[in-house]
Amino acid sequence: MAGVDELIAKEGVEEETVEAVKSLAGAYKYGWETEIEMEYAPKGVNPDIVRLISEKNDEPEWMTEWRLEAFARWEKLEEPSWALLNYPEIDFQDQYYYARPKSMEEKPKSLDEVDPKLLATYEKLGIPLKEQMILAGVEGAEDMPAEGRKVAVDAVFDSVSVGTTFQAELKKAGVIFCSISEAIKEHPELVKKYLGSVVPVSDNYYATLNSAVFSDGSFVYIPPNTRCPMELSTYFRINAENTGQFERTLIIADKGSYVSYLEGCTAPQRDTAQLHAAVVEIIIEEDAEVKYSTVQNWFPGDEEGKGGIYNFVTKRADCRGDRSKVMWTQVETGSAVTWKYPSCILRGAESQGEFYSIAITNNYQQADTGTKMVHLGRDTKSRIVSKGISAGKAQNTYRGLVSMHPKAKNSRNYTQCDSLLIGDKCGAHTVPYIEVKNNSSRVEHEATTSKVDEEQMFYCRQRGMDEEEAVALIVNGFAKEVLQALPMEFAMEAQQLVAISLEGSVG
Amino acid sequence: MLKINNLHVKLEEEDKRILKGVDLEVPAGKVHAIMGPNGSGKSTLSYVLSGRDGYEVTEGDATLDGEELLDMEPEERAAAGLFLAFQYPVEIPGVGNMTFLRTAVNAQRKARGEEEMSAADFLKFVRAKAKDLKIDADMLKRPVNVGFSGGEKKRNEILQMAMLEPKMCILDETDSGLDVDAMKLVSEGVNALRDEGRSFLVITHYQRLLDHIKPDVVHIMAAGRIVKSGGPELALEVENNGYADILAEIDA
Amino acid sequence: MSTAVKTQAGQISADARPASGAWAAEARTDAASRLAAMGLPTRRDEYWKWTRPDSLISAAPATAEVFDNQGEPLVFHEIDRLKLVFVDGVFDADASDDLEGEGLEIERLSTASEKDIHWAKDLYGVLETAGQTPVQSPLAVYNSAMATDGVVVRVTGKPTRPVSLIYRHEDSASDVILHHVIKVEEGATLTLLENGAAAARFNQVTEVDVAKGAEFHHVRAQGRDHDRQAITHIFARVDAEATFKSFTMTVNGKLTRNECVIDIIGDDAVAHIAGAALGDGAENEFHHDDTVFITHDAVACESRQVFKKVLKNGAKGVFQGKILVKPDAQKTDGYQKSQSLLLDDDASFQAKPELEIYADDVICSHGSTTGAIDEEALFYLRSRGVPTPIATDLLVLAFLADAIEEIEDEDIAAEVTGRLDAWLTRRRG
Ligand SMILES: Nc1ncnc2c1ncn2[C@@H]1O[C@H](COP(=O)(O)OP(=O)(O)O)[C@@H](O)[C@H]1O
Ligand SMILES: [Mg+2]
Repeated sequence: MAGVDELIAKEGVEEETVEAVKSLAGAYKYGWETEIEMEYAPKGVNPDIVRLISEKNDEPEWMTEWRLEAFARWEKLEEPSWALLNYPEIDFQDQYYYARPKSMEEKPKSLDEVDPKLLATYEKLGIPLKEQMILAGVEGAEDMPAEGRKVAVDAVFDSVSVGTTFQAELKKAGVIFCSISEAIKEHPELVKKYLGSVVPVSDNYYATLNSAVFSDGSFVYIPPNTRCPMELSTYFRINAENTGQFERTLIIADKGSYVSYLEGCTAPQRDTAQLHAAVVEIIIEEDAEVKYSTVQNWFPGDEEGKGGIYNFVTKRADCRGDRSKVMWTQVETGSAVTWKYPSCILRGAESQGEFYSIAITNNYQQADTGTKMVHLGRDTKSRIVSKGISAGKAQNTYRGLVSMHPKAKNSRNYTQCDSLLIGDKCGAHTVPYIEVKNNSSRVEHEATTSKVDEEQMFYCRQRGMDEEEAVALIVNGFAKEVLQALPMEFAMEAQQLVAISLEGSVG
Repeated sequence: MLKINNLHVKLEEEDKRILKGVDLEVPAGKVHAIMGPNGSGKSTLSYVLSGRDGYEVTEGDATLDGEELLDMEPEERAAAGLFLAFQYPVEIPGVGNMTFLRTAVNAQRKARGEEEMSAADFLKFVRAKAKDLKIDADMLKRPVNVGFSGGEKKRNEILQMAMLEPKMCILDETDSGLDVDAMKLVSEGVNALRDEGRSFLVITHYQRLLDHIKPDVVHIMAAGRIVKSGGPELALEVENNGYADILAEIDA
Repeated sequence: MSTAVKTQAGQISADARPASGAWAAEARTDAASRLAAMGLPTRRDEYWKWTRPDSLISAAPATAEVFDNQGEPLVFHEIDRLKLVFVDGVFDADASDDLEGEGLEIERLSTASEKDIHWAKDLYGVLETAGQTPVQSPLAVYNSAMATDGVVVRVTGKPTRPVSLIYRHEDSASDVILHHVIKVEEGATLTLLENGAAAARFNQVTEVDVAKGAEFHHVRAQGRDHDRQAITHIFARVDAEATFKSFTMTVNGKLTRNECVIDIIGDDAVAHIAGAALGDGAENEFHHDDTVFITHDAVACESRQVFKKVLKNGAKGVFQGKILVKPDAQKTDGYQKSQSLLLDDDASFQAKPELEIYADDVICSHGSTTGAIDEEALFYLRSRGVPTPIATDLLVLAFLADAIEEIEDEDIAAEVTGRLDAWLTRRRG
């Protein structure tokens, strides 16, 4: 029986599901808090706060102006209400917009100088800020060297970036990977050119607010014809109370380059809701490719729906060059409220956009998430695979747009949008918009909504699994296509999350 | 081992009575066969014993080694040692066969308070069993029963049985749709598991299977009841003359 | 008449409204005040973003040249039916059959509304009001406030012949509002046929109550007048074990919006709505919008939406459809299909097929495809010697077949297929 060894390797990803289900007992794993002395800007937002944030980051004048202009626009905008979301009105003046550990006042020059408390925080989150191999814990995964894989990490703690690993090694390859505050100072020409070029300042209410008050985030530049030598990742941690996190990520993949970027997020368990409004802009030039994966695990609120993160995120990739390619993969298990539509502007000829999503809502969580595929160039392709799982008293909505412009000749879209309902108190909704303005393109959209199949449940239980285990197994199968799109170490975490997020949803 | 006492079952949703007083006892280490016309209630009996929804027991009971089966959840019955090889094995897209097997094996071990099997041990175990049943690596990798041929599905059921080592095995028309070679494989798989602590209830229409798996007792089921029981020769009689004679004899 | 829409919306005064008996006056006053609160549709409304309401509500008079069908008999002419004729929105008793039939009570709306007590009181404007959720239809409210003519039909048995409403369009500047109320009583059955343009601008509301175990079959062919505009509304209430089926064929027409709101309120009911539209923008503008809301509020019901559009030369198609499954509507089986065939590069299609589901034991799905004709199929036909234009038409008819199959009566279905075929053949030259 040759083949069996290979088989296990290939199957590795989902192999671990069962162990994961069992090894993890409690619900939200990351609900603890780091006790650390913080420095806050006064509560609320106004031009002075905007200037203060800019000042704290030592920004040049043009950046301050950019922010102030955004703030002026934000004041004129109204919070959108079209999403199928229901939450108490947010008092934008009752939040802190800047919170930084006191120890970060002097920016550490190297990782060794970072406050041990912060290092310990990331250690505990399972993201050690050390330049070491990350062992993926998957037996014999083929595409992994024996000693493991390198992943560079930018760690953002409340409003500031704590440190970025592997910077020197990346620099050798010509890759710039640093915090956005650093990039504004060190690479102003790049930031000036690209910031706001994909998500314009006044794109939407939350993006505009973000443009005014973003405090930190990550910056990536991959030079032409460069394959980024390792995976890049940013780990966002909200720690402070009553504090909003507004991060900004800017990724530029120059001609013929490639990068895979991962993003993770967690926050402590608290009774009051907290705000998170991020903007991610990706620019992809000719023949370049970007993979962007997210495992979003912000605190979802408790079983009664108390607390949790309100997550309003604008993510957009602009495939400017011909044959450029972007792939969004997201696993959304956290947050009390999710409002998020990672989008692809397919401008270049033969450019491609993909969107793979798993959104799980349990208890009182609400998610309104999906994507936009805007086909502008000829021979462009897009693919959407969305798997929504709703349990408890949660509401889960897929909202998407596929638009074929007149000039997008010979383009294709395929959308598959499946929803699974667990229990009779939750809801699952699908709101797709389809616009086709030429006839050489083809758009196919399919959606289904159903509950977990009873025959499958019985089959699993006849083989000895209890209900919760059976549901986790079947749901992981349901979401498999998306899990497979994730990088290996994320796939494992995601599978565990699927099981944990559904705890208490049956029986 | 398995004791069924005056079991009456109707559909939960409608007023249709399917089992009308089934009495059956399968002692440890024995192989009993059930034959009977289509629609006589054979599959229903196996479903009710394993705890599938949709049926209502109106009278009677069933015990496994003295334990009341009908009060248990399906997974508890499985952990107690009851295994059903489904007449129509269920497809579960996205869930690898291997993952499924491992989840099941460990769930049962846990329920019985045993150690879970390590990945390496499990692999060795599965390999050996799969090899016996000529189940190749590809089949283990594919999602549970999805895209399997009829014969592959049935062999997969036997693989699961071999892995789970139950004490009471119910095989519902496991021979249907098998070619001669597959039939041989399946019966060898079953025979390998024969043991004095393990009993079988084999539902079949054909003598062919019973040539390989020698039953101790053969029962004929008709209209929701066991109407006749006898030795292996009863199966031959059915094979040669069909059910008509036997049923006529009973009606008379 | 509906020139008043723009100028008087929100302040339709009592004297602008038609005189009537107590129940009708009350219903119309109620509608007028509801409209005042609601306002007219604008392009900013979510469900009007793809279809401009402007020309439907504009104060400027609408005109549409009367279509010359060159003596060709009208659709359904071969079907034995009870004919009720409206000429530019006014009932024509002479051209119509007698208002009676086995198991049928038929009256003009104007006659019924003069009475002080009438069964239609429980339906007129009532189903329309209920149908304002989940999405508002202000032009239907306007209709309820202003309509003077139409028919009220009560079905108590199983009439052998269909009731056929024929809408003649003779005045090129007619602006017409019609409002029908149909009550199919428990266990009764009605087939309703409709054909004709009715007017240059046509606003129609049909309220249909399908009682327990009753059946309502509806087949409609909208007029061929190129410049005509139509906004039609069906508000249906479907009770237990009842069947509601409606099919609409549309060829030509500058602007058509067919709204259908179906509330399924009784267990084990069935509701199907289908449409086939053929539009060629070369001869005139063609904009066709199907907007459908089906609400499941009962157990084990089935709903189907099947909409097919074939578009060319700048023709525009819109589909907005929603299946809403209320929390206790378990065992719902809902399916929605919206497909468009774009025969050239100027045609366009916009769709929003929504599912909103609050019960778990359901099977709901939708499929939507948009694209050109299947090249492989075309090649296959050509390789067998079928010339491209004929092969294309064959594939177009095959594409429309799913929708036509929703018509239960074979003769009527054959009539519809024949008309679609003729439309295609004429354009082949
Ligand atoms: N869930 C069900 N719904 C309706 N009828 C059922 C159901 N399950 C079993 N039956 C009916 O009960 C009878 C016995 O079926 P079954 O147990 O499958 O018979 P067998 O396996 O002996 O062929 C048949 O008439 C079958 O149609
Ligand atoms: Mg059977």
